[in-house]
Amino acid sequence: MSAMFKRFKREPLLPILIVLVMLCLLVFIVYPLFQIAKSSFVGSTGEVGLQGYQRVLSGGGLFHALVNSLVLAILTATLSTVIAYVFAYTFAYVKVPFKKLFNGIAILPVISPPFVIALSAMLLLGKQGLITKNLLGLENANIYGLHGLVLVQTLSFFPIAFLTLSGLLRSISPSLEEASQNLGASRLKTFLSVTLPLSVPGIANAFLLVFVQSLADFGNPMTIGGNYSTVAREIYLQAVGSYNLQAGAALAMVLLTVTIIVYILQNFWVGKKSYVTVTGKPTGQRRMIESGAVKHGLFTFCMIMSIAVIAFYALVPIGSFIKLWGINNSLTLDHYKYVFSIGQKAIKDTLTLAIVATPIAGLLGMIIAFLIVRKRFFGKKALEVISMLSIAVPGTVIGIGYILAFNKAPLALTGTGIIIVAAFVIRSMPVGIRSGVAALQQIDPSIEEAATNLGASGSKVFTSVVLPLIKSAFFSGLVNSFVKSMTAMSAIIFLISAKYNLITASILAQVEAGRIGVASAYCTILILIMIVALILLNLLVKWMGGKEQSA
Amino acid sequence: MAMKKWMSSITALTMAAVLFTGCGSTGGNSAAPANNGGQDAAPEKPQGKLTVYVGFQEDHAVAAIKKFTEDTGIQASMIRMSGGEILAKVRAEQGNPQADVWYGGPADTFVQATAEELLQPYTSPIAEKIDAKYKDPDGNWTGIYVGALGFASNKEFLAKKGLEAPKTWEDLLNPAYKGEIVMADPASSGTAYTAMYTVLKVMGSEEKGFEYLSKLHPQIQQYTTSGSAPGRMVGMGEAGVGVLFAHDVIKYQEEGFDSLELTIPEDGTGYETGAIGIIKNTKNEELAQKFVDWALSPAGQEVGKTVGSYQNLTNPDAVGPEKAVKLSDINTIDYDVVEAGKERQRLIDKWSVEVKK
Repeated sequence: MSAMFKRFKREPLLPILIVLVMLCLLVFIVYPLFQIAKSSFVGSTGEVGLQGYQRVLSGGGLFHALVNSLVLAILTATLSTVIAYVFAYTFAYVKVPFKKLFNGIAILPVISPPFVIALSAMLLLGKQGLITKNLLGLENANIYGLHGLVLVQTLSFFPIAFLTLSGLLRSISPSLEEASQNLGASRLKTFLSVTLPLSVPGIANAFLLVFVQSLADFGNPMTIGGNYSTVAREIYLQAVGSYNLQAGAALAMVLLTVTIIVYILQNFWVGKKSYVTVTGKPTGQRRMIESGAVKHGLFTFCMIMSIAVIAFYALVPIGSFIKLWGINNSLTLDHYKYVFSIGQKAIKDTLTLAIVATPIAGLLGMIIAFLIVRKRFFGKKALEVISMLSIAVPGTVIGIGYILAFNKAPLALTGTGIIIVAAFVIRSMPVGIRSGVAALQQIDPSIEEAATNLGASGSKVFTSVVLPLIKSAFFSGLVNSFVKSMTAMSAIIFLISAKYNLITASILAQVEAGRIGVASAYCTILILIMIVALILLNLLVKWMGGKEQSA
Repeated sequence: MAMKKWMSSITALTMAAVLFTGCGSTGGNSAAPANNGGQDAAPEKPQGKLTVYVGFQEDHAVAAIKKFTEDTGIQASMIRMSGGEILAKVRAEQGNPQADVWYGGPADTFVQATAEELLQPYTSPIAEKIDAKYKDPDGNWTGIYVGALGFASNKEFLAKKGLEAPKTWEDLLNPAYKGEIVMADPASSGTAYTAMYTVLKVMGSEEKGFEYLSKLHPQIQQYTTSGSAPGRMVGMGEAGVGVLFAHDVIKYQEEGFDSLELTIPEDGTGYETGAIGIIKNTKNEELAQKFVDWALSPAGQEVGKTVGSYQNLTNPDAVGPEKAVKLSDINTIDYDVVEAGKERQRLIDKWSVEVKK
């Protein structure tokens, strides 16, 4: 007990911080989920029972959709992680031209709503597809279904894995690898016995992130899923289409259970290991691979991937100037006229709310990561689980949960900007936490202990020791939060109001109406906003001193 | 050194600010930036501002709200969602309604909302001009437009297969259309539910209707989420034939999908009644009623045709779009909106279990 009191005396802020963070998570994650759990047992007329679950299981479609979703998620997560790892490795270890370009390209798919990639896939590979029909002369190319979904989801989600892995690979200390090579190990041997094991937590994190993203994704299954039903789509159809909130909530609970099981397995497997490579001793620069088959192979792979991604993205701006894709290919500015006459408010609202949400999500993510990795306190496991929970909940359900939870006093937030900001933060924070945790696990606590022993307070240690060391993870988290907020769709479809409308909701409406030109114009504007934001953030990083001060 | 100090204090400040804005709202005293105060609880002035949930196309919605403000001087803001989304939102917000008027979208959803007591009855003086089958006797909702179902076929596809465009529901069972038909999923789309209910009526009984739907199932390439999407897919040549509303097909034709051919089933077709209603416990009842009056008037109903919405209008004094498919020219079934709304859940569930396995 006295030890605890001592700790409290030394770090008076810590308990307050923990309580505040916990409170946030309780109000914005647990409470809405509780409301959903409650709804899953209550019918529209107020009777309590298992009808929701019964309907789900008697429908027969659920189990099918669940298996479908798991197959899809495993395929997508595996592919995405492999691609992301190759990209990240090339980035950190190989001297290749066009590095900046590759980086930009790897991030590109994050910065547009996923169903746009689905649209491009249709235009490139569908029955009237540029590639399938015009290049290959196929009559009956069918893009709808599992293969189309895997393609589109992989393109959409591998950047998330890339952002997680690239910070991690760059922070692996070269000295270990040099030691291995100096002892006579080949490059391959070094990679297999040093680099790869060191990146296991990152790989696991990346896989988990993409897996859950794929499970919860509903934009793509709706656009390109064809008759391949997935759980997230079924939830949406139940909750919104059949107006059966009870069945939707029951389905969501099933999905949530699956995700939590995955998370626990993952944690059990990864969480046991500790990887310290930042020891505080000065390290030299990494010697890059400058030639040889490895370099050429990796370079070719990145090049092919990049060309594929560019092909998918070139369609969006091009499509925004084309009157009617594949039917009438004359150039026009009509789509932009439409956007600027009707979509101005949505653009302004989205920007404002995303700018507010980004720093909150970034810092909160880092603080939680710090608490999880570095601090021991009561309820830590709960904090960890709850903070990762939000990513597991399909956005549509979070949206309904928020409306159920924040509709009456004292938390009457429906229709305000706060509720959208909260959804943005909750939806984008987990990625920040993950990358923060991955970065922090590599830093030897003795550095912080040294600072503490020299008399620095907890907050001082955090700001002057921890933050600089996890800066790159922090900024990739910021970028990711901003991007996710700007492109969030499923969660906010229920939270938009006449007061605050968002670009993605407008795009979805246009996609549904089949106005691909207008949707593309919106997306082009969205992508431009992202690019400007990324450049600004990069400048900010440079301005804050990109180089580590060596002691 | 000074820089470092400055940096760390900035960071600390930001952290404090984050935790405050992140959690401050939990105390109920919302202090979020970029938000003009929590005015939810403020008592409404009589010259308040209306909020409208709109269920039809966005360009039509924007034009209508603009015209309403021009005509009446009342400020209104709107948001466009699909019928299902609006119902879910209104249901979820029933304790603290965020909107005053529900404008457009199929009446079947209004019937369901009426059963759940989500609407505030209002019988507009203009409503007496409107045909009884297009309105709720208690004034929970009133029809503003009507549009028939049709088939959209791709001319190139028909030419290649040497087919004529389908003229009856039976025609869709032709083996040549195997895997070439698209329609929306009745669970998510009002359009598709209208089609399903129509088929049950045309075939003469629920049993025969479901027999037909089971035979149709292998012909379907995919069930889309949104009701108008089949029109785009057929126009793009992704599929041969789509089942959707005639007014949506005409809109696509106007937008340049020249390959679309519209046919109306001769053995009987159903139609959608687009409705308007006032949301229960609105804080702006008077303004909401003014909005309903306006939406039922010729001025309100004729906005649609200026932005390419080709439905028929319910007000006999209003002049509908020339291109619209008139209900008097085609063979319509007796579409009972009330029954359709009441049976909706059961029929969709039955369809999901028996047909879409």
